Amino acid sequence: MSPIRRVVTSCEELSLELGAAVHTPVRRGAVAVAVRNPWAGRGVVADLRPEAEKLAPVLAREIADRLTAVLGGADAIASFGKAALVGLDGEAEHGDALIHTPYFGNVLRELLHGTSIIAFSEERAVAGTTATVPVWHKTEAATRSHYSATQIRVPDGPRPDELVITAAAATGPRPNARIGDRSTDPAVTLETLEGTR
Amino acid sequence: MKLRKTVTLVDEIHTEGGETVSPAARTAVVAAVIDNPWAGQGFVRDLSAGIDETAPRLGALLAPLVVKALGRPVEAYGKAAVVGLDGEVEHGSGLIHTLKFGDHFREAASATTLLPALEKVAPAGTVFDIPLKHITDATVRSHHQSVEVRIPDAPRAGEIVIALAAAGQGRPQARLAPLATEQ
Repeated sequence: MSPIRRVVTSCEELSLELGAAVHTPVRRGAVAVAVRNPWAGRGVVADLRPEAEKLAPVLAREIADRLTAVLGGADAIASFGKAALVGLDGEAEHGDALIHTPYFGNVLRELLHGTSIIAFSEERAVAGTTATVPVWHKTEAATRSHYSATQIRVPDGPRPDELVITAAAATGPRPNARIGDRSTDPAVTLETLEGTR
Repeated sequence: MKLRKTVTLVDEIHTEGGETVSPAARTAVVAAVIDNPWAGQGFVRDLSAGIDETAPRLGALLAPLVVKALGRPVEAYGKAAVVGLDGEVEHGSGLIHTLKFGDHFREAASATTLLPALEKVAPAGTVFDIPLKHITDATVRSHHQSVEVRIPDAPRAGEIVIALAAAGQGRPQARLAPLATEQ
């Protein structure tokens, strides 16, 4: 039997912000997978690698398949991120083992045609918790216009002996991004701020 | 109609009660977040103009999207209206309890029965459950089910969330005796 119990896929298409048409219509997708915690009931397991090596690539593929399907292919995706919710009987390290090792991150990055480090969040949580998944640009992580986040939840997961592993992606920047970038920022230090008082 | 955004959810259940569900049970929801057509107008006695203006458009928008998101023949369906806190439940009911809305979904799903519905007034981020029943025989017990939805920032006080839900099957491990066995 598959360790995957439930998969929720979401896609949001925003057209108005505060009543006005957005500058860049953007689609944001997220996928959350409720999966049995392979270390549940085993106490503190010293070596998490064997299970991570087996399970994480499966999760990355399941998630990438759905993200690319709802967003129009890997090349339509501009930004990405990931998150782990660990059920209450698990250890935060279990979520980390599944999302912070190459068995997940490298597979997701390759399938979504990215090169950046993948933004992330992690939390130990009860079933039904909404995961806030940060995203940033998939090849130029410091691109400020693409810093964003999206939310997703599995209504009955993670159960105490489960994890919810998620990833999110967007087809573009924030819809009304207008806060400049490093190239347009003035030099801001504590000293310059004092001077403006 | 002022449409702020659409939200699509696809929910797949691969195991239930520790047993494999094959093929995975699949349910889709598409929700539209719109401005409440009667916002700021006080108590509007006759809602028919707003209903005629908005309900057919919502039906025409959402029905094909939810059928496509499901990606398999629809066997059960339902609808929902969640009205933001400055509105009346009657506003949401007005938009979904009209053939001008529901017939779009019935046609797209080849359905004949009444659509079960959820309607409530609630803050943004509320969790709501859309009831679903069989598309041609509302007594088919295996297909009585619900799907859970939450949109973190909707409905705002002056908005309404209108949603359609479609399932490709009944409950993932349905095994109750049919209604007829108790009659």
